Amino acid sequence: MASNISSGSVPHLPGMEVTELSKNTYEVYIGPAHPGSGHMRIIVEVDGDVMVRVDPDIGFVHRTMEKLAEGRDWIKNIPLFERMAILDACNITLPYVEAVERLLGTEPPDRARYLRTLLCEINRIASHLYGMGIFGVFLGHSTLYMWAFGDREVFIDLAEQMTGARLTHSYPVFGGVRRDIPDDFPENARKATKYMRNRLNEYAKIFLNNPNIRSRLENVGIMSKNLATELGIVGPNLRASGVRYDVRLNEPYEAYGDVEFEIPVFEEGDSLARAWARVEEIRQSLNIIEQAVDWLEKHPRENFMHEKFWKTAPKLYKDVFSGQIDYAGKYRVKLMPLFASLKVPPGKAFARVEAGRGEMVYYVESDGEDVPYRVRVVSPSFRNVIAFKYLMPGHRLMDLPAIYGSFDYFPPEWDR
Amino acid sequence: MNVWYLIYRVIIDDIIFYPPIYQFLIIPGLIAALIVALIIIWFERKAAAFVQMRYGPREIAPKIGGAIQLVADLTRYALQEIIIPETVDVLPYLLSPIIMIILALLPLEAVPITSIRTYYPIPPDYSLLIAVALSTLSPLFIIIMSWASNNKFAVVGGVRESFIITAYELIAVLGFLSVAAMTQSFNLVQIVNLQMSGKWFGLLNPIALLVVFIAVLMSTSGFPFEIPDSESELVAGPYTEYTGLLYGLNMGGAYIKRWVFSILITIVFLGGWAPYRPTPGIITGYFIPSLIISIKALIVMAIMSFLRSVYGRYRVDQALGIAWEILIPLTLVAFGLGLAEAYFGII
Amino acid sequence: MVGGEKKLISIQDSLKNVLKDNIISIEQAKGYIDVLVPTDKLVDSAKKLKEFGFDHVKSVTAVDYIAKKQFKITYHISSYLNEELSKYIIGLSTIINRDDPHLPSLSKIWVSAEFQEREVYEFFGIIFDDHPDLRLLLLTPVVAALKPLRKDFVVKEESDNIEVDYAAYNATKWW
Repeated sequence: MASNISSGSVPHLPGMEVTELSKNTYEVYIGPAHPGSGHMRIIVEVDGDVMVRVDPDIGFVHRTMEKLAEGRDWIKNIPLFERMAILDACNITLPYVEAVERLLGTEPPDRARYLRTLLCEINRIASHLYGMGIFGVFLGHSTLYMWAFGDREVFIDLAEQMTGARLTHSYPVFGGVRRDIPDDFPENARKATKYMRNRLNEYAKIFLNNPNIRSRLENVGIMSKNLATELGIVGPNLRASGVRYDVRLNEPYEAYGDVEFEIPVFEEGDSLARAWARVEEIRQSLNIIEQAVDWLEKHPRENFMHEKFWKTAPKLYKDVFSGQIDYAGKYRVKLMPLFASLKVPPGKAFARVEAGRGEMVYYVESDGEDVPYRVRVVSPSFRNVIAFKYLMPGHRLMDLPAIYGSFDYFPPEWDR
Repeated sequence: MNVWYLIYRVIIDDIIFYPPIYQFLIIPGLIAALIVALIIIWFERKAAAFVQMRYGPREIAPKIGGAIQLVADLTRYALQEIIIPETVDVLPYLLSPIIMIILALLPLEAVPITSIRTYYPIPPDYSLLIAVALSTLSPLFIIIMSWASNNKFAVVGGVRESFIITAYELIAVLGFLSVAAMTQSFNLVQIVNLQMSGKWFGLLNPIALLVVFIAVLMSTSGFPFEIPDSESELVAGPYTEYTGLLYGLNMGGAYIKRWVFSILITIVFLGGWAPYRPTPGIITGYFIPSLIISIKALIVMAIMSFLRSVYGRYRVDQALGIAWEILIPLTLVAFGLGLAEAYFGII
Repeated sequence: MVGGEKKLISIQDSLKNVLKDNIISIEQAKGYIDVLVPTDKLVDSAKKLKEFGFDHVKSVTAVDYIAKKQFKITYHISSYLNEELSKYIIGLSTIINRDDPHLPSLSKIWVSAEFQEREVYEFFGIIFDDHPDLRLLLLTPVVAALKPLRKDFVVKEESDNIEVDYAAYNATKWW
């Protein structure tokens, strides 16, 4: 499709980029209004069927969270940051809570640490299933898409029982968590883990070991260990390239130091390894959930909030906690009043956790006011997006969904 | 003998059951194809839904399991505004979907669906060759469509379509002709008559059947083998610029192509109207055999559409690799097998 | 956490050994070690740190100190391949002038900084010299011209009327 406009006659207009294409190539715009892109655009220069230059153009759902955070109370930022990836809400807000806790000098009690770990793992499974479902439909495999989204519902229900909300839980707050689990939760959690273990085998049968899917994924988008390190890739994608790095392992936070789990590491670094890494991580997460639930059963009715905040709690809150009033009753339990007027001592803090898609990083700076001075958010997808630019060239256009999907993209998260 | 009876005879004999019209428009032509599309699309959705732990269509007519969902879809397509972009080449853009549909149905004109001489649409001596040759015409218009759309995605899709068609139509043609090698005849009536004893050529030469089955699956590009219009990178491939009824025609075109090939597979490999022996008379000699063929072809299509819940999409170079490196040698093996069986007189 | 303290001190020592007189100050912040270097020694320090084993950038953080008329840019770096170093996060920071914000790009040393530097460029108007591909990443040109993360850009209470100079915007409208 030759354009009539020669590059000399193009006036320079704001927002317009003129890039000259080499001969015999043309540009394809994958997105933003495209069934296979999500809220982003990938500008691909194609020579025949082979991609020559790939330019991820992101920012279509950008909300400037970092700026909005500077105008909000410390506690109100938690529901704000959650909006980056509502399906991974606990993991996404946890480093912010941790960073602020570091500034405040409060440590959450043991029960809160286990509750956070539990919800993080539930979120991780839900997030991986979401990613795998999208990946399946990218390859034209509608069954995996439906299965993954259907099974994700199990874990969303678990999260709902635990926190009262399906997606935006706002569960971890400074000094602890928002509420405790109901009494029948451990039983339900065990049922869910048992169910999911069986399902994972079926996923392997219909998707990962399907010869058709394997031929699409094997040796596609190979990212060597060194390249992955250079590009600063995070999460399961990094571990699929043979790098043994997981924040849960390298700098254990919450209860991860006390539970037993393995970090699945794959050497191949191709799209198939990235898909397998997710499946194996789900398996490990199921183990962690069971251990956390066991621990919580052995230590019932312990405090789940730091004393400093707990002593300002309203009576209703304490009644619910002591079991006199049921959960999900007709009462509206408000947060501790101390949170509303919270002022954080000046300082700089940095925190990282392993979110579903990878390492989530917050830098929080306070100047002693009731709002943050600066919050810097780097989400895992934002660090992964650079891989498209360096990994895709040289592959065929039809490999684009195979690579793009294998990275478990999530535009609202990288746009922030 | 009154006038009304005469008119009735004219309508029945010379219009409805006049073979070219009957086969092109009624069974197994347009109307049967529409009914089949209704059933197959419903089956495809329900079967996929069963595998995928969901209900499938049930909002429209919940009592019959949403069976007329397609009618609702077609109504929507028909009432939708047809947007013609300024940049397209209007005449080929508008005409090619229509011509494609007509050409896709055209092979049915060459296929005899009964052994009674009066109901042959054309003399059946070379009918297999003619049917197979006519079936290769309609993909040309997909390529014209993609070029007339003047859209990058459409052009990429058109290029892929031409690659896929070249490879897989060749396989389909060779696969069908391996039966001609077995029978030393292009006459479809004779081919069916040879299968009357129960020795279907699909059983005698399963390799040819398998090869043709795969070739049809790929060349008619139904989900998830729709490499030319795979939506995750090409939006809708050659059909990107089409809206409303024209888009519906394109989608229908793929089904009709698949339907026509299913009929051919039925006749050539699955015994046609066997085990039924047509006797003179419109109902017993023409209508019943055409129904038998349609039902067999329906089963073939149902198997094809069930595969959507198992497989994903191949990459275009992999699909071509499978065609040229695996399937073409396999087709030649099937051809050889057919010759050998003919030589040793197994048929 | 006596052992931890000891290790932190030793990593601080080894940083001092690596960077020598490049360091203006080194400080244990909460969760990372803040190393302040002068702007003209930034590239040199980055090279040395990379040789030491810090192989990727986690975050390129700019903070606007409007009262002091300064920007502080911090490269939060860590290691993937070296398990010992991966436990620490180093903030390689430098302070630049707010009126004419320039600093050398580190994208050639750490490729992982490329997109993050682009982000800082559009949100603060800080120019990274020698950046291979310094274009806008997330914002449209109209919004990026406002440099939204600088402290003098004020968000009006949760409304969507960000103050855009519509006259100037319409003048450059091309459609």
